[in-house]
Amino acid sequence: MQKRNTYTEIEDLLSDESFQSWILLKIDLDGWEDWTLENRQRAKLVEDARHLLLAMNVPGSNLSSSDIHKALQTTWAKIEEKENQINFTENSRGRFLNKYLISGIAASIFFCLMSVWFYKNHSGTDNVVTYKELIDKNSEGLVEQTNNSSKPQIITLSDGSSVLLQPNSKLSYPKIFTGNERKVYLSGEGFFEISKNPKKPFYVYANEIVTKVVGTSFRVKAYSDQPDVEVLVRTGKVKVRSNNLVSKSDQQEVVLLPNQALRFLRSDLKFNKITNITEDEALVRNVGNIEQLSFEFTDIPVAQIFETIEQAYLVDIDYPKNKLKDCHLTTSLSDQPLTEKLKIICKSIGTNTSFEMNGNQITITSEGCN
Amino acid sequence: MKTAILPFNSFDDNTLWNNLKEGDEKSFSILFERYYANLVRYGNSLSPYEEKVQDCVQDVFTDIWVYRASLQGSVVVKAYLLSSVRNRIARLFERDHIFRKTTSTDSIAFLLEFSVEHELIDDDYATKEKVIHLNKLLNELPSRQKEALYLRYHQGLTVEQIAEMLDVNYQSASNLLHRGLLSLRKEWKGTFSLLLLLSSGSF
Repeated sequence: MQKRNTYTEIEDLLSDESFQSWILLKIDLDGWEDWTLENRQRAKLVEDARHLLLAMNVPGSNLSSSDIHKALQTTWAKIEEKENQINFTENSRGRFLNKYLISGIAASIFFCLMSVWFYKNHSGTDNVVTYKELIDKNSEGLVEQTNNSSKPQIITLSDGSSVLLQPNSKLSYPKIFTGNERKVYLSGEGFFEISKNPKKPFYVYANEIVTKVVGTSFRVKAYSDQPDVEVLVRTGKVKVRSNNLVSKSDQQEVVLLPNQALRFLRSDLKFNKITNITEDEALVRNVGNIEQLSFEFTDIPVAQIFETIEQAYLVDIDYPKNKLKDCHLTTSLSDQPLTEKLKIICKSIGTNTSFEMNGNQITITSEGCN
Repeated sequence: MKTAILPFNSFDDNTLWNNLKEGDEKSFSILFERYYANLVRYGNSLSPYEEKVQDCVQDVFTDIWVYRASLQGSVVVKAYLLSSVRNRIARLFERDHIFRKTTSTDSIAFLLEFSVEHELIDDDYATKEKVIHLNKLLNELPSRQKEALYLRYHQGLTVEQIAEMLDVNYQSASNLLHRGLLSLRKEWKGTFSLLLLLSSGSF
């Protein structure tokens, strides 16, 4: 702030951010008022600069934060489209170059297909994969949790991801994720919020399909007695392919963006992408509590934030009501699993705040916000 | 009442920009949310069609992500974004006026009208009159001078950045800014000779 003592021009003041915020927002962090009064010439300069700023106002934007959110989603969709376009032109260029190879390749493919057909017909596997088969193949060290109650149940995985398991559903997962992949197996329905880790992709195996993500939230519905499997994305990007137990040759991937869904018809192994979920009655009917709640908080009392979390995850949160009654937070938690949400909230409240989780019971200890 | 803001959202532009270059989607989203409304505002001062402007701004971000590997590391993110939006809108003009040859970035008119901060004038009547008069003078300035003033004092760009953006050399950009205020000041002095403005008055 020593710099301002050398100001001799209106321009110097106009381009000073601290000066601007004093005039336009009435926030005087640097003692402009006293500084102005120190010197009469200076007072004149300040007055002129002030008048100019007042005459040069630019109206603010009329975009709401939900407009911006929508625009961001549109942009991700545009990116997707553009990337596909680029891949396509690259592929077709490749195809042109390799045109003369095609006849050779075609012959080998023919033989491959023949052997696949032969194998399939003689090994007697059919196209339906169940949870049991999946588990049998990967049984080492898996923990299984079954929800036989009438309410959704929260499961926290070793990497901090959370799964809201619906009634009559089961989830099998390793106690601790090792290796370069995180794999879980689902029967029934669950809402997944995955902690971000691009180095260790997360896979949900459910009936005949495999859903791959790096960090995002989405719902998978895969009951073994229903004719289709559904995946619905809330945030981030999700890739779905069929399990190679059913389709050995083509590994076609379907990419889903927020508010897109996919229905997999188990009888004919077909993917149906649903880009507008609001038009699909079956999906709309099934939207759970957690997916309707907003986790974007702007200057919201902590008590209200806890209440939102209680509703979303059907947990009980115990916290020192008196000590936290004047605490407000501004934070965006949409993309975070439950434990991550709690961590962020505790950190935002203050250094002396922590949480403990015991099944559906969460206890917050705090000395108040700083 | 306490308001805590997440540390992640307070990362500075360049950290986010470099994360984005590495493929971090979250950083991309934060930059998007940080600048989208501002860029649309600026775009609207060049073209009145809100939808087209939003489209342009989204395309700018799309290209940033798709071609992130070839982005430069050391840029002033805000200046880069503003300038990309300007170029994008200029291109749109070219396409729409394809049968007219005249369009280039120079001929884009800056349509924004400065307004008066009525709520903040708690002074006497004379001051109010003066601010309103100043506002009128500001809005009568040539469009490029207005744009330069806007970029300098509302967007906080440096003279170098404005020069680059408006595709002129440093001196011309500095002139644009100076001339704007100078002509204003002349009128101003004439009208309010009593005030004997600008103690330094050193032009």
